[in-house]
Amino acid sequence: MVIKIDHVKEYEALVKVYQEEGLDISLFGNRIAAIIISGDRIIGLNNVPGVEMRGEEIENGVRAKVIIKDNVELPFPIHLCTGYLKREGYQRVIFDITVGRNSKVKFTSHCIFPYAKDFRHDALTKIEIGRDSTVVYDDEHIHGEGVRMVGKTEVDVGKNSRYTGRFSLVKYRVGKLKLEMSARLDDNAVAELISKVKAAKDDFVEMREVICLEGAHSRGTLKSTVIAFDNSKVNVVNEAYGLGDYARAHVECHEIVKGNADVQTVPLLRVQNDKAELTHEASIGRINEAQLVQLMAKGLTEEEATELIIKGLLGE
Amino acid sequence: MLCLRNVEYSQESRKILHLINMVFREGITYSILGPNGAGKSTIARILMGELRPTSGEVLLDGKNITGLNVTERAKLGISMAWQEPARYEGITVRDYLTLGGKLSIDEDEIKEVLEFVGLSYELYAGRMIDKNLSGGERKRIELASLLLLRPRYVILDEPDSGLDITAGELIEALLKRFRRTGTTVILITHHEEIAVKTDFAYFVCAGRIVRKGFSREVVDYYRKTCRRCLFAEG
Repeated sequence: MVIKIDHVKEYEALVKVYQEEGLDISLFGNRIAAIIISGDRIIGLNNVPGVEMRGEEIENGVRAKVIIKDNVELPFPIHLCTGYLKREGYQRVIFDITVGRNSKVKFTSHCIFPYAKDFRHDALTKIEIGRDSTVVYDDEHIHGEGVRMVGKTEVDVGKNSRYTGRFSLVKYRVGKLKLEMSARLDDNAVAELISKVKAAKDDFVEMREVICLEGAHSRGTLKSTVIAFDNSKVNVVNEAYGLGDYARAHVECHEIVKGNADVQTVPLLRVQNDKAELTHEASIGRINEAQLVQLMAKGLTEEEATELIIKGLLGE
Repeated sequence: MLCLRNVEYSQESRKILHLINMVFREGITYSILGPNGAGKSTIARILMGELRPTSGEVLLDGKNITGLNVTERAKLGISMAWQEPARYEGITVRDYLTLGGKLSIDEDEIKEVLEFVGLSYELYAGRMIDKNLSGGERKRIELASLLLLRPRYVILDEPDSGLDITAGELIEALLKRFRRTGTTVILITHHEEIAVKTDFAYFVCAGRIVRKGFSREVVDYYRKTCRRCLFAEG
């Protein structure tokens, strides 16, 4: 990996955060395609055969272009590391990702703001996937106490291609989160958008997931899991549009509420093709009583049982 | 010894149980037999601490445990397999089987109990207990978890419901195994052929104990009276 000489300390500080948080530091290895951003600078960049990444430093942030060529199958994930190690400030990151035909890649994106007290992070990601490709995009966040985040991901899934997008913010304070993930699907394309968020204290979450099934036989799943504690406020909107012949989508939203949290979920299912089919399932409420009691019958206290159920739901 | 003494239970001013007195001795297998809606599962849930009786007491070795919750009773050695085992997203069968039991449970033990209940270790140990498992599979996992938990008292609420035709054999094998380990079994059922496998039985109908005694005798009585009842209704 090429590390800019004047940013070695920042790079080391980021690696240290990975170590402390139990994240995979092998992602900084030379065999991994990676872009390492700290604040408004690119402090590390590594390309591997089949992957072309370049970035430019813009006002308050970074714009990066990632190109995956045709017929590329990578044994390791592509590492997108966005760090901000100061307490206050603003960061804007724009990723423009193009995946060619018949390629298979996984992105591991880490957004690391461990010391943030008064920090705003805007992330805009556009992903264009050519036909017959498979893309997984895992987005994991490590936040300090005071983060305001606006994240927007737009994905265009080509014919016969498959996209899985996972967003997870479960171990740390959310702060204020406005998240939007949308996918447009071509013929026979498959997309799965999964988000898991744990909100506590006065956290504020606004999530919108959209799946637009334009292609014939396209299939999609939207799945949001939110745990809302204390005085947090959560609003989840899941939208699915069935446009193509025999398009299918399932929308699932589960929200567990504890304390004075204010939680709302709005499903929007719209079909403009009589051969398309959309289904929806949602639940909001406290932890399922049957699950609690049955775990307590194994000797777990109510608190231990609650913690286990939540951990399971969030995939921790 | 686990006892119910003069237990009554009402829900929204409707009396579900009327003066129930039951005694469950160590190492004996019991069934609580009765038609749907008789109050059998309510008795099970009162024994486990999920429901509190409106009046009366639950006693364990002479001590009043009526006020203890489910966790506290589990710690005293009472556990239960529910009629409809819950689903847990993100929790594997292996994780579930090792809950609450002795500190170290090795893979051989997990394999043994899974195979005992008719599930392949290779196929099931790593699977999530979520909606991809059928009710019957979850029931078998629940039974396997009790084998590892090794409580003094096991309450099995309709253990055969949702299971396939091998259910009878499995329950017979479970009873044999629990007898060998000295575990008291309290089996809730409306199937005569399941109840007859236990040592003693209580026949409950409309929230009252109608008959108690050796299972065969109680089952005979149940067969006659319940059929008469059904014919009367028809």
